Amino acid sequence: MNNISYYKDGKGLYCLFFIWLLISFSSVYARNTIRYSTAFTQQHQIQGTITDGINPIPGVTIAVKNKSGTSAISDYNGQYIISASATDTLLVSFIGFKTALVPIKGRKTVDIQLIYDTTTLKEVRVNAGYYSVKESERTGSIAKITSKDIENQPVTNVLATMQGRMAGVNIVQTTGVPGGGFDIQIRGQNSLRTNGNNPLYIIDGVPYSSDPIGTGINSAVLPTQPSPLNSINPDQIESIEVLKDADATSIYGSRGANGVVLVTTKKGKSGKTKFAARMSTGTGTVTRFMDLMNAQEYLNMRIEAFANDGISPIPDYAYDVNGTWDQNRNTDWQKELLGGTAVITDIQTSLSGGSEQTQFLLSGNFNKQTTVFPGDFNYKKGNLHLNVNHESENKKFRINTSIGYTIQNNNQPRLDLMREAVKISPNAPALYNTDGTLNWENNTFNNPLRNLEGKYSSKTNDLIANVMLSYNLTQDLQLKSSFGYTTLNNTETTANPSTRYNPAFGLGPEFSTLIASGADRKSWIIEPQLNWNKTIRQGKLNILLGSTFQSQQSNQLVQYASGFSSNSLIYNLSSASNIFTMVSEETEYKYQAFFARLNYNWQEKYILNLTGRRDGSSRFGPGNQFAVFGAVGGAWLFSKENIFKNNAFLSFGKLRASYGITGNDQIGDYQYLNTYASTGINYGGIVGLQPTRLFNPNFGWETNKKFEVALETGFFNDRVFLTAAWYNNHSSNQLTGIPLPGTTGFSTLQGNLDATVQNRGIELTLRTVNIQKNDFNWSTNINLTIARNKLLQFPDLESSTYSNQYIIGQSLSIQKVYHFTGVDPQTGIYTYEDVNGDGQLSGIEDKKTIKDFSPQYYGGLQNTLRYKHWQLDFLFQFVKQINYNESIYFGVPGSSGNQPKAVLNHWQQLGDIADYPIYTDGTNSTAVDAYYKYFESDGVISDASFVRLKNISLSYEIPLKDVQCKLFFEGQNLLTFTKYKGADPEFKSSGYLPPLRVLSAGVQFSF
Amino acid sequence: MKNFNINKLQSRDSNPTIWKSILSLSCLTVFVIMISSCDNFVEVDLPGSQLTANAIFEEKATANAAMTDIYSKIRDAGVLTGSASGLSHLLGNYCDELKFYGDPQNSTVAFYNNSLIVSNTEVKGLWDSSYNQIYAANAVIEGMDKSVHLPEVDKKQLKGEALFVRALLHFYLTNLFGDVPYLTSTDYEQNSIVKKKSVTMVYTSAKEDLEQAIQLLPENYVSEDRVRPNKYAAHALLARVDLYAGLWDEASNEASAVLNNTELYNNEGDLDKIFLKESTATIWQLAPGFSRGNTLESVTFNFTSGPPPLSALNDSFMSAFNDNDLRKTHWIKAVTDGTTTWYHPFKYKYSDTESSREYSIIFRLAEIYLIRAEARAQAGELIGAKEDLNKIRNKAGLGDTLAGTQSEILDAILHERQMELFTEFGHRFFDLKRVGKIQSVLSIAKSGWDTRDVLFPIPEVELNLNPNLKPQNSGY
Repeated sequence: MNNISYYKDGKGLYCLFFIWLLISFSSVYARNTIRYSTAFTQQHQIQGTITDGINPIPGVTIAVKNKSGTSAISDYNGQYIISASATDTLLVSFIGFKTALVPIKGRKTVDIQLIYDTTTLKEVRVNAGYYSVKESERTGSIAKITSKDIENQPVTNVLATMQGRMAGVNIVQTTGVPGGGFDIQIRGQNSLRTNGNNPLYIIDGVPYSSDPIGTGINSAVLPTQPSPLNSINPDQIESIEVLKDADATSIYGSRGANGVVLVTTKKGKSGKTKFAARMSTGTGTVTRFMDLMNAQEYLNMRIEAFANDGISPIPDYAYDVNGTWDQNRNTDWQKELLGGTAVITDIQTSLSGGSEQTQFLLSGNFNKQTTVFPGDFNYKKGNLHLNVNHESENKKFRINTSIGYTIQNNNQPRLDLMREAVKISPNAPALYNTDGTLNWENNTFNNPLRNLEGKYSSKTNDLIANVMLSYNLTQDLQLKSSFGYTTLNNTETTANPSTRYNPAFGLGPEFSTLIASGADRKSWIIEPQLNWNKTIRQGKLNILLGSTFQSQQSNQLVQYASGFSSNSLIYNLSSASNIFTMVSEETEYKYQAFFARLNYNWQEKYILNLTGRRDGSSRFGPGNQFAVFGAVGGAWLFSKENIFKNNAFLSFGKLRASYGITGNDQIGDYQYLNTYASTGINYGGIVGLQPTRLFNPNFGWETNKKFEVALETGFFNDRVFLTAAWYNNHSSNQLTGIPLPGTTGFSTLQGNLDATVQNRGIELTLRTVNIQKNDFNWSTNINLTIARNKLLQFPDLESSTYSNQYIIGQSLSIQKVYHFTGVDPQTGIYTYEDVNGDGQLSGIEDKKTIKDFSPQYYGGLQNTLRYKHWQLDFLFQFVKQINYNESIYFGVPGSSGNQPKAVLNHWQQLGDIADYPIYTDGTNSTAVDAYYKYFESDGVISDASFVRLKNISLSYEIPLKDVQCKLFFEGQNLLTFTKYKGADPEFKSSGYLPPLRVLSAGVQFSF
Repeated sequence: MKNFNINKLQSRDSNPTIWKSILSLSCLTVFVIMISSCDNFVEVDLPGSQLTANAIFEEKATANAAMTDIYSKIRDAGVLTGSASGLSHLLGNYCDELKFYGDPQNSTVAFYNNSLIVSNTEVKGLWDSSYNQIYAANAVIEGMDKSVHLPEVDKKQLKGEALFVRALLHFYLTNLFGDVPYLTSTDYEQNSIVKKKSVTMVYTSAKEDLEQAIQLLPENYVSEDRVRPNKYAAHALLARVDLYAGLWDEASNEASAVLNNTELYNNEGDLDKIFLKESTATIWQLAPGFSRGNTLESVTFNFTSGPPPLSALNDSFMSAFNDNDLRKTHWIKAVTDGTTTWYHPFKYKYSDTESSREYSIIFRLAEIYLIRAEARAQAGELIGAKEDLNKIRNKAGLGDTLAGTQSEILDAILHERQMELFTEFGHRFFDLKRVGKIQSVLSIAKSGWDTRDVLFPIPEVELNLNPNLKPQNSGY
């Protein structure tokens, strides 16, 4: 064959890839065919419909037994056509169903009913990144969800779809404002750096940088900078696999320490050209409000506070109680400012089809959400996705291309109103004057709606493209290369017009400001790979060799403009009289690696899997750029031993274990250089240069040694399937910003700290098929994670700058706090335990109470019920944890600003036993001092465990002939059971809008 | 859906010819060699937006940019900023100059109520930004010592400026926090375990730095508008340090060094011109960040309608003015809503103008006269003291002082400093402290005043991170 010469002459395999890339678009391949010798004699067209008893099943593969090369796939109505002879037998297979062998017996029409089979689930192939493995034969720890789970959720962020559904994966939403982010931790916190615990994201083989885009300065409305993951559209995801243990992650080397999230997008399927659409509309509201004082209670508190302070008359500045404001007004500000309803609209369409050789999928969708804030704010996302696959006729050459383009447009107020909404005096004046302008009540009212004058806007365009080429050199040897390209462009603006200031300042548009930032991120990756299979004795050997070349370039420009001639020109930088550049940055990251996998599978009973990677990264200084990572994994399918053969009880049994080393390089670029950077700030005609950081060139990788052992068992023909895993990970050589006292001029120093963090835990997943009838199915998935995080080793912790933060033997998420001992009945002042007995509360020596904020256990309980055309799916998420309670929002009781209703139970006179202290406006400094210590005590920390009906979805399939049509209802965060009194128990970022309760309904059809 | 199932490919081991296996293996080998042969792929160039520290100090333009950036930082954050989080505003509220009217949740309230706590973020901000500015100054000093190619004249200039800045910031730190470390290096290992020095030791170190700065700095300004310190700025600060340290003769001499240079400095007669950027009474001032910009003080203090959105002058301060005092009408503005009248400092009048008209003045001649007056009075030179004092009084439209005895003159000087230097970087607070009148004055003027309040608390985080900074100031 022609192609052999390409690699015989040894010119280099890279050339091959590029040549193939070229010729794959030319007609060269058309000539390169192999004639099939199969004689198609006495063939008939056989047709029929494939159903599960009720509904047609599309996408089923129908093949003719012992005749390779003849196959068909059922269309959307479950119909198929195939050529076969009268004596042939059809081989009908589909994931989730038992494979059926149907003899044709001379029939022209063969209708086939498939039977659900849970046992086949373990035959499903699981994506492990560079390779895929059969579920039953995998040696690593991989959790997976598929589009079936993802589609049911009215959410826009890919991480939201995973919440509560995967063992060992803890995901917390950080804000209810659309466009915000999620925190994710896979098997706990490995790195001391709070921002060094992100997993590696790979979308269709292309690494996708999850580093936040934009600038923190701009997105004040969000607790974290916008996450690029918002660009991924959940509706286009076929599956998400999370790689957890060393066996699965070591092949990702220096980037695998925190786990790997593999996102696979939907692919085109051959068959009739199909159009599908899904439309839904929903609403979002705040899940719960706090119970706060009404105006009368509040004013009584204020009056009592001034009386306690001995201040009379009530001072000028206390407008709320000195008579300046109407004493009879009573406004529920939470309802006023956060009580709106967000409207959510979602439209998805797709067109797919193709032949056996070439398939395509084109999908487009649009999502829009408004907010619960007053005013016209919204988030819009549009997305286009194209996938084309082609296989040469001789099945040697394959090309697989996906391109996704997403546009996001987010318009939000400059600031989240949450913090102010709970603190405004309930008798504060009306928001608007009668003429519709903002009411400042003669300069006495800091109108919260001023924050809506400022506008935050973010526009993100994101392209992800990949091409995968593969060619089978011989039957055993496959050469493959993936090429990926991503580009992301983000512009953000925060406009702060002068109208947000009290007019009393007399500030005109010359005081309006605009922060405008633009960020670009481009990356490419090439990963040539060789895959060699060989049967050696009774075992199968597979060797994979590959390498990675990756480069990422980022640019960022942030400008601050002020002094506008008019507020209507605020987005026009040229009408600003002053512009200065806050950030002008370009960074380059280069990464190179060589990786290998060796897998030996003896009779599908004993499996050994070796993986390794040698990594080089530009993030480290000379001499520290390269490191080697690797893992060994093994599995024993003991159910295949003779002793268990034909055992009615145990249908599947596998014991697997793995050990290996992975790394973490999430530290940002150029950290090893001693540099000065431009500040953009002018002084006497000179633009300043400032030292970038404290200088430390000698730091290297953080390493994470992972060990896991797991038992997978299936009972009663796998209708009960239990997986239990125990893992023990040690993360050491911690690469961290070591906190320094301010006297050093900086707050941190980048370096390796010889500290070790242990993450240990048990993960249980149980899948049961409770009822399996033709018209009624009920299955349950339960996952439970019990995890412990522990600091094992820390050199000189006591004398280090971390001594206040960590304790050896405790979790990284602890807080050392005072022990709150209630209100002193004599003085009405908060008291705390004076541990060292020196008569005062002296910080660290008295903060001996330890509170661990990491969840003790968490999990989910998912049920799927199907009755005829109805399907009900619901997920309960549960977390056992503690969190800061509602007190964290409020100032000293008695001072200006509202308080929870519970504060009514306060100390008033000698001998009172009360929960809350004496009221003071703030001049009682002992009471104030004591109150602020409260925030550093266990008094503000409460149980925040919860059980939440995270997701529910109910659908009804209308039985129609040619059109598949489904009506559905979906809900998110519908019910919450908790003792927690704060805003939302799930939620960690106080002061921001908590996650919303979403109700949505819609229709889905295809033809 | 199609699976690219690699295992399928191995199913038939039909052609077990030796050459095929060899071919496969050699192919693997070639592959391994190729991909592991280019390690320099991961080397990246320095981005265009950054320069290495060594390169910075080899070129005049970049070395100057490193120095002027410290002034920008001083202007925008920390003790000397004119913004609401600088000492002019915070200490004005903390003692008896300003009354706070703004949002009760504003961080200034704790200053106005004298109820600072160890975790106060404004206090931490003052601490951190001062030491960050000191770090940058030390980096310039070290850079100058190491620099090979920079001309000697520039090295001297920049090192002198950096020494001056270092002394200036330590002066404020010790007056706010009492005993503080005096940092002379960028070495973080040392600086993170540094111990405190007594106030006297801090003054001694500051004096050493300033004496060296005086040697290094030129007579004339290197920049337009006096925005970079010259020799006399160092003299002025040294005079102040000596006065605070009770070294009367030295304070007097340093003050004279400035006052005697009548070519550069002139006690401007017109009160409305004192704070203009071209004033010849100015010794050192900070340039604004924008070409149209003026001072941050004007933004902080000025308002057009009442009640005041932030702070206004205290009634007791207003009543301390003599009715004939021109400063009361030229440097203060009344705002009324018809029934109530409020007063705000109006030394800096402009916010947005075609081109900048006012810069933020850190050292001006009036203070130097008052330093010499006080030093002379303390040394028993009463006539000279009254002469200097009268210069300030006459300019404000007041007659010669009637004070006769030493203590009367000292009281008169203290009063004059109050009326002259109000809302300028906390002079009032520091004056009351060093003359020992702070308890008697502020316990009457301020309901929240407590003896502990003479010093700010050292930020608690600092004590935790560096226990060598213990103990905390008493009372916190």
